[in-house]
Amino acid sequence: MNTKALVRAAAVTIALIAVATIGSELSASFKQFLSSVGGHHWVGKSVLSLVCFGVLYGIFSKVSENTFSIKDTWFLIASVVVSGMAILIFYVQHTYA
Amino acid sequence: MVNPLILLHAITAEIGVIAFLWVFVELLNPTESRIVRAQVAAVAGCAALLFAWLVGGFYYIEVYGLHVKPLIKASDAAWVHSVIMEVKEHVFLFLPVLAILATAMLYRYESELMQNKDARVSVVLLSGLVVLLGFSIAGMGALISAGYRFALMAGGA
Repeated sequence: MNTKALVRAAAVTIALIAVATIGSELSASFKQFLSSVGGHHWVGKSVLSLVCFGVLYGIFSKVSENTFSIKDTWFLIASVVVSGMAILIFYVQHTYA
Repeated sequence: MVNPLILLHAITAEIGVIAFLWVFVELLNPTESRIVRAQVAAVAGCAALLFAWLVGGFYYIEVYGLHVKPLIKASDAAWVHSVIMEVKEHVFLFLPVLAILATAMLYRYESELMQNKDARVSVVLLSGLVVLLGFSIAGMGALISAGYRFALMAGGA
């Protein structure tokens, strides 16, 4: 198992969840596409997050050397914090603007 | 009466989060036996979180969206749905990814975790992140329940 690829795949997947969340609020056609994946846009995002995680791991394991370091984990934590804050700020702004 | 699905969702999610708290504690000073216990806890935690995801998703689409969301949105506590629920349902999607990653690292490194500081600290940080996010999401769930009760008392039903 390539740990570096796995951590990077997780970091990018989490960022993509945030992008898909905000994108689906801004684009009706994208929301419709997500709904077509799973019958509901949230199910579509759930399915796509797992598929992205698997596909990105496959891609990163081909291009990343298996030399894991703590920096990869900090990159993932930064992705979680930035993505979570982006979702929170977007919905606060979307509600009160 | 509280819908049994929401109880099942909350209980299994809490079990999942507490399992990762267990992983966090075991790996602060790992030994062979503590790593084995952490692996068991992580698998149980992953299973609980995935089950909570399925049950919560079913409840969200089949019950919340049809009966709870319209009441909350029609009340003075509409922000409970448009901010808290929206953030909760999307940040929740981070949890299975982080939980699967922490579990995979526990099985990849096993007893090596006693010597490999980067891997050990990473699993500790990831488990801590699952706990922190999980309890934050539980708090949001409590706020949503309070918002629903507020909407009911305000004359929604």
